[in-house]
Amino acid sequence: MSQTEPLRPRIGPGVHVGVTEPMIREVVHAFYSRVRADEALGPIFEREIEGEWDAHLAKLCDFWSSVLLMTGRFKGTPMVVHARLTEIGGDHFARWLGLFRQTAEELCPPPAAALFVARSQMIAQSLQLGIAVSRGEVPEFSP
Amino acid sequence: MTYVVLEACIKCKYMDCVEVCPVDCFYAGENMLVIHPEECIDCGVCEPECPVDAIVPDSDARCTPDWVKLNDQYSRVWPNITYKGTPPSDADQWDGVEGKLAEFSPNPHRE
Repeated sequence: MSQTEPLRPRIGPGVHVGVTEPMIREVVHAFYSRVRADEALGPIFEREIEGEWDAHLAKLCDFWSSVLLMTGRFKGTPMVVHARLTEIGGDHFARWLGLFRQTAEELCPPPAAALFVARSQMIAQSLQLGIAVSRGEVPEFSP
Repeated sequence: MTYVVLEACIKCKYMDCVEVCPVDCFYAGENMLVIHPEECIDCGVCEPECPVDAIVPDSDARCTPDWVKLNDQYSRVWPNITYKGTPPSDADQWDGVEGKLAEFSPNPHRE
């Protein structure tokens, strides 16, 4: 299966609340500056991203562009990447989400910040559950 | 924790969702797509992209345990799909038809 035609333009959920590529870039870069300075998150990220921060920031800009502007730029497997980090737990996610909210609310108009925050919370919850499943802490699914 | 593909996809299979999914968690059967529950990160991008509203969060009332199970089961055996292929030629005729589960094929996608 190969891509036969370019991705057609789509109107992502961020468009209606004023999210732009420069805004995403600003949020991502400011957020990770705070992450790196955080006493709990910083060491984990520095170890995992060591020497590749430029690429990581570009990847996260692509990720948020895909989620909020539906550009399809990011393709990756964040569940796998996070599941192998054995030391991360609920407190790490809470700190991450707190810093993300703080950054978004400082840099974006309220409706855009609310969208950033809402999606970050859904994704974080999903990653946490995925990690728990991979650790055998909860059943794979419970219909 | 995941989005789930429902009956509305059967024999419609437009595949717009796979292009916007940032984590490539769609898997393709002969006449339907499913989402891998452990790869979906709940970003919600695919939901509005489906022309037949076949994708819902697992918290949605329409998402019964049978659909959660079907997505889980077939995402483990069907091939991963990351680019939109050609939808069935009669896809439009199946849009909104009730009782399409009877048409479900367990066979994998083929070009």
